[in-house]
Amino acid sequence: MSEVQTRSRMRFLPSGSALHKLSALITLLLLILAFSFTSPAFLSVNNGLTVLLQTAVIGLLAIGMTMVIITGGIDLSVGSVLALSGVVTGLLIKAGLPVVPAMALGVVAGGVCGFVNGLVITKMRITPFVATLGMMMIARGVALQLTGAAPISRLGETFGALGNGSFFRVVEMQANGFPKVIFPGIPYPAVLLLVMAVLGAYLLQRRQIGRHIFSVGSNEEAARLSGVDVVRTKIWAYTASGALAGLAGMVLMSRLVTIQPNEGVMYELDAIAASVIGGASLMGGVGSISGSMIGAFIIGVLRNGLNMAGTSAFIQQIIIGVVVIGAVFIDQMRNRN
Amino acid sequence: MLNTATEKTPLVEMSHIHKRFGGLHAVEDVSVSLNAGEVVGVLGHNGAGKSCLMRILSGAMKPNEGKILINGQEAVIDTPQDARLNGIETIYQTLALANHLDAAANLFLGRELKTRFGNLDDARMFSEAENALRQLNPNFKNLRDAVSNLSGGQRQVIAIARAIYFQAKVLIMDEPTAALGPSETAMVADLTLRLKAEGIGIFLISHDMHDVFELCDRVMVMNKGRNVGTFAIKDVNKDDVLSLIIKGALPDDWTPRGQA
Repeated sequence: MSEVQTRSRMRFLPSGSALHKLSALITLLLLILAFSFTSPAFLSVNNGLTVLLQTAVIGLLAIGMTMVIITGGIDLSVGSVLALSGVVTGLLIKAGLPVVPAMALGVVAGGVCGFVNGLVITKMRITPFVATLGMMMIARGVALQLTGAAPISRLGETFGALGNGSFFRVVEMQANGFPKVIFPGIPYPAVLLLVMAVLGAYLLQRRQIGRHIFSVGSNEEAARLSGVDVVRTKIWAYTASGALAGLAGMVLMSRLVTIQPNEGVMYELDAIAASVIGGASLMGGVGSISGSMIGAFIIGVLRNGLNMAGTSAFIQQIIIGVVVIGAVFIDQMRNRN
Repeated sequence: MLNTATEKTPLVEMSHIHKRFGGLHAVEDVSVSLNAGEVVGVLGHNGAGKSCLMRILSGAMKPNEGKILINGQEAVIDTPQDARLNGIETIYQTLALANHLDAAANLFLGRELKTRFGNLDDARMFSEAENALRQLNPNFKNLRDAVSNLSGGQRQVIAIARAIYFQAKVLIMDEPTAALGPSETAMVADLTLRLKAEGIGIFLISHDMHDVFELCDRVMVMNKGRNVGTFAIKDVNKDDVLSLIIKGALPDDWTPRGQA
């Protein structure tokens, strides 16, 4: 009988995605180690928190992107949707709405963009690449049109709280009357990222929708024949991606305390890179939130470390590009044997 | 069209089913019935429309015309979910497995077991799947592996277990033994007879004449989208069936064999 054949696999080695995640984590630790030698200021509490803050936006985008990629799709619109959500929020605040509901509606606006992506992909049967490429242009165009391409500023102090506030901030008044920051605090965006990542991982691993997302990406026809509502599952994934892009927009714009309608260009590529470095397969069916978070931090640490080492932004692009190709290459090597 | 089968209140009755793809008539005015505890073989060339007809019954495809009666009641089967709600389970030729998921996830795909809080109950799904699979194949191992890493036989066992776990009333088996070795084929044959004894109606698509004559009570032969004959198995022999499959007609000197 064929299934009695025992495959000679070394059981003690972590297999499949676990191995990939482990190698990504080791890469991240090696990067941190290398940068702490090149720049003494790299390995400090302050810089660590800066990395957290900088990675929060890409991380939020990567959570949604991972879900979409697992369904076998792609979402190129998140960078533009991020900007449009910010613009919606900015205009609502200018119209007199308080900050919190305005931000909530900004996130909803992102979700609506994602929902439209899902509808176009499932109902009009347009490939995800083309559908979200269209949305990328539409959302950016709407954001620029609504604002006349001008930033919206003077949004009040509360608008900046989400991006700039932190938990457990310890400030001590010195004798000379100036405050001294003892511990800068854990930034809200980092906490938000953690909460959303845990929520995303929970939905993917422990809930039916997550199981269905994996099944759709693994074998769409099989999922349909098994009674999975493929259309609903895809729309759900794109809506989640859009809403998370909206949330990322809130974090980014709040940090700048200004709405920039031309923010977020090329962010979708960072999010895709984070997912892919973290082990997600663009063929669908494979990926994890934890992997994508490691991927996001690899990109974040690379950017930050290279900045501190004085590397130019152009060289950074080259290095990150090489890392993306390298990560996928290693993954394929692993899959081939 | 000759029909020597006896008439009862059928479990499933597909009547005057048409399915067109553009100008191509994949299924043309086909009627077929299935009784409880009966195995009906659906035979024909590749492209004769038998898989298409079965996909209509399993909700994977919508017919252009025709209706389906379940226990005499007209049933609307637009989606695979509808078919399952009517107690119709299908073992697809392609197996319809999600390769990246493990056996338990595939067995319960679309019908996941949940805990009180709506979370996936993986522990219960795993133990249920283990039981179901071990019943079919006591040597089933690697339950936690993605099914892409399993052998063809194991994958087939998962597809079969998925169909029978949920207490089907009607089972459609599309080439269930195509990927199997001899002992597994015998296991599927035993299983088919056991399910039949439990009163389940089975449509069996097969190219294997030996299986067909061993397992089926009746055969229905399709040729170029049409039903060219439904016979009690005792009334035909292999040559008659082959003639129907190839020519679309019985040998000229045919008389019901059972009466001879």
